[in-house]
Amino acid sequence: MMFDLSLGHLGMASILLAFALTIYAMGSGIVGALKQDASLQTSARFAAFAVFLATTTAVVVMLVALLTDDFSVQYVAETSSRASPTWIKVATLWAALDGSLLLWAWMQTGYTALLALVALNSALRPWALVVMQGVQLFFLAVVAFVVTPFQVLPIPPLDGPGPNPLLQNHWMMALHPILMYLGFVGLTVPFAYAMAALITRRPGTEWMQPVRLWTLAGWGFLALGKITGGWWSYEVLGWGGYWSWDPVENLSFVPWLTATAFLHSAQVQERRRMLKAWNILLVTLTFALTILSTFLIRSGVLSSVHAFAEGPVGPWFFGFFILVMLFSFGLLALRWDQVRDRSEFDSAVSREGAILSGNVLFLAMGFVVLLGTLFPLIVEAVSGQLVTVGAPFFDRVTVPIWLLIFILMGIGPLLPWRRAEGQTLARNLAWMVGGALVAGVLAYTLGIRRTYPLLTVAIAAYNLVSLGLLISGVVRPRVRQGLGHAASIFTRYAYENRRRFGSMVVHFSVVVMALGVAGSSGYRVDQQLNFPIGERVTFGQYELLVTGLFEERRPYKVSRGATVEVFHDDQFVTTLTPRINLFGNSPQPVSTPSVRYTFWSDLYLNLAASVDPHDPAQQSVIIRVVQSPLIAWIWIGAVILALGTGYALLPNPRREPMAVRERVTT
Amino acid sequence: MKLLVLILLGLVGLGQAQEILLDQRVFEIGRQLRCPTCIAETVADSAEGISGEMRLIIQEQLVAGKSEGEILAFFQERYGDWVLLDPPRRGIYLLVWALPVVVGLLAGTLLLIYIRRGQQQAAAPLDVSSDEIERVRAALRQEG
Amino acid sequence: MVFVTRLLLVLVATALLGGLFWFGMTSSQGRGLGPTQVGRVMPGFSLPVFARYQAEFGETLSLPSGKPVVVSFWASWCGPCHAQAPTLEATWRRYRDRVLFIGVNTQDRGNERQAEAFLDQSGISFPNVKDVNNRLGVDYGLFGVPETFFIRPDGTLQHRHAGPISAAQLRAQLEELLQ
Repeated sequence: MMFDLSLGHLGMASILLAFALTIYAMGSGIVGALKQDASLQTSARFAAFAVFLATTTAVVVMLVALLTDDFSVQYVAETSSRASPTWIKVATLWAALDGSLLLWAWMQTGYTALLALVALNSALRPWALVVMQGVQLFFLAVVAFVVTPFQVLPIPPLDGPGPNPLLQNHWMMALHPILMYLGFVGLTVPFAYAMAALITRRPGTEWMQPVRLWTLAGWGFLALGKITGGWWSYEVLGWGGYWSWDPVENLSFVPWLTATAFLHSAQVQERRRMLKAWNILLVTLTFALTILSTFLIRSGVLSSVHAFAEGPVGPWFFGFFILVMLFSFGLLALRWDQVRDRSEFDSAVSREGAILSGNVLFLAMGFVVLLGTLFPLIVEAVSGQLVTVGAPFFDRVTVPIWLLIFILMGIGPLLPWRRAEGQTLARNLAWMVGGALVAGVLAYTLGIRRTYPLLTVAIAAYNLVSLGLLISGVVRPRVRQGLGHAASIFTRYAYENRRRFGSMVVHFSVVVMALGVAGSSGYRVDQQLNFPIGERVTFGQYELLVTGLFEERRPYKVSRGATVEVFHDDQFVTTLTPRINLFGNSPQPVSTPSVRYTFWSDLYLNLAASVDPHDPAQQSVIIRVVQSPLIAWIWIGAVILALGTGYALLPNPRREPMAVRERVTT
Repeated sequence: MKLLVLILLGLVGLGQAQEILLDQRVFEIGRQLRCPTCIAETVADSAEGISGEMRLIIQEQLVAGKSEGEILAFFQERYGDWVLLDPPRRGIYLLVWALPVVVGLLAGTLLLIYIRRGQQQAAAPLDVSSDEIERVRAALRQEG
Repeated sequence: MVFVTRLLLVLVATALLGGLFWFGMTSSQGRGLGPTQVGRVMPGFSLPVFARYQAEFGETLSLPSGKPVVVSFWASWCGPCHAQAPTLEATWRRYRDRVLFIGVNTQDRGNERQAEAFLDQSGISFPNVKDVNNRLGVDYGLFGVPETFFIRPDGTLQHRHAGPISAAQLRAQLEELLQ
């Protein structure tokens, strides 16, 4: 009988090939690095490209299987459904555990191949590649031998269940996981270089130079991933919020905090050659936390709405986590003496001092979030008692730390390196604190009385003044020198100093987002109201009128909802359609809220009970109505953050040589 | 349900004729309670039946004049400490409140020590041996 | 710090975290159930009995009753409740002179028809009461349906079992109740 080559076989073969090639690449990479053999190293790099080709083939095969409804492939049979629209079939690739690991493995091999392609040759490069491939080996092994998404089913089912209904409800499903994985995998590169630095005993600035852009990109993707996750929750989950301190959210937040700390302290190493050991520690911690978070999410250890269903993967990730801990921290312990440097602090009131203090604050916040997330587990292990740690705890503990960071963010960029000069510092602070007081008093008289929003407004103003002082500090001297007028100098500065200006833009975006968070959490209005059909109901400054019920049928879902007309000052504003979706594969209905976005506040409607358009007895609808002031500022801030980060990644333009205007006579 | 609506009208304090089934405070208190049958959701935001019942209970108790503390205690009696999202401050739970403070103080102290040491090292003259000084002098003499 | 000390630090930290997570993977923590509150004095109640049981058991059933009691919560829409009904019924028949079984129909607002159908299909002969406002479920700290409570004659809780219960588990708890 002829061997029947199906997509499943092709996919499995590609993954196994990738696995084998990775072993070869690691082997030749290690030997090539130890013997300084250039041809072996080149061979290892080519192997990296080949691995990427193999995993790309596997991903393409899986996509083809999903799009052609090939239910002989195990993952497709378990997760996909004929009735799903095309975009959902594509997103099904990462909708369940097995596929998400395939995606992660593919991205890991992609980053390794990219590194092999663009990284400058140095003593570090071969080792960095080896470490990347070590991580890649683990993910490929799990995909190839543990979860086996490409397993061929001898008797394929006629149809599958389709992905989890919560994941079919919104297009963000297509974007958020990709951003998160790009972030996580991107932050593996600095880790690989740090390990290479330890292995080759070159712990100086050498390892950080090639790593700067990778770190910034990985950090940016992770930040965007988190924020898009928040927006997705807002649009899908029905309670009008974007962050719930859920264990999975927390676990992916903590490595982002350490990565942010690293992003800043890396500058200190670049400029002052200080904090070398600290930076290696931060990068290692970030990677260890990433592996920890992905382990805890996929192992069923913590209960969370995000957690993947428990599977056989848990013990494997546990083992990998232990391995990462022992290898990376063990290596660091071994080389610690060679990594430590003479720390020379001229003054605590300096850029270095501010960045170091900021680092401590970021790590403190990370510690507190991690403690709260793991505390129920710790308590149960130690005493058998059951306790829950939720949003009230996290809010209470992180807000003070965040406010301190917010304050530091304003003064830090203004401080010079080494030592701040008293007079300038005092003058700057006077302006900034003055701005804070003015804004605070203004806000108070306008009705903002709650502590956290009021403080946020004041510190936001303080930060804006700080940004203004930064800009004027650059522009004014040049105006005085007669180099042009303010606008053109500013534009020139922004054009030529991309990293600096990009960071200013990102800090500005943080201010915007902070105001959005303060407004939406401090002044949220949240009620559940009864809406008799045909009668106007007042909510705040709006009047809402349910005009009728509707039902929409698609092959994969049935939607039933209410049509609500929104009036403001008796003027018709918009129509909102909150609905409840019932997907083919699940008896559990999923509500989809309807949102009116405006610059100053959102109006958010979510059905609190199911509606039946065919039932003549249904005379009223129960809707949860939420008004969140300034919440749109969070999403606007995210866009600004993306632009700022992208801009900072661009290389500075080449300076044209200036023409000599006069001869200098000796 | 309709009965509740009639009861609620005066006590919400918005002064307008609205059929408010669940007041804002219900959600504020609900956000401090864990939904007992859900994996990790609050009573305020969960769509499950039991959460809906609990929200109704909270509304009734608010109307009856109970305070937030009394309502939280009501559920704590029935479901245990576990239902509170803010761990009670006693026994082993104190750790989660105490540790951040302790670690914060520790971190602050370590930071100060580190900076102080750095300042001392910056101020201290470099430690150079007399051999090395002689080598520098010899090299300078050579250059003339 | 000497290298050995540092290495020891790394090993200890890894061991502690590893132990914690190993415990997490093997314990029931991930299931998200709350505390069992053994020894708690269970709240009394007085609820209306379903019509078909009123002849034998009266119009309302109250706790405390002076006998050991098994209270089993169910809902008409709950599949596992259907599945465990025969087990409960069989065990009831063996122990009916020594232990009182009470079924409580909860979280079934507006589903009176379905609740009656459930009782028809399951053929349960122990008394069932209606938890009209779903308040008894909250008072008992219910984690879901089905859930079974084993209450001693003095009204304190011996054990609670969330999810469907097997005959062996039922018998084990009953033997302990009767001691």
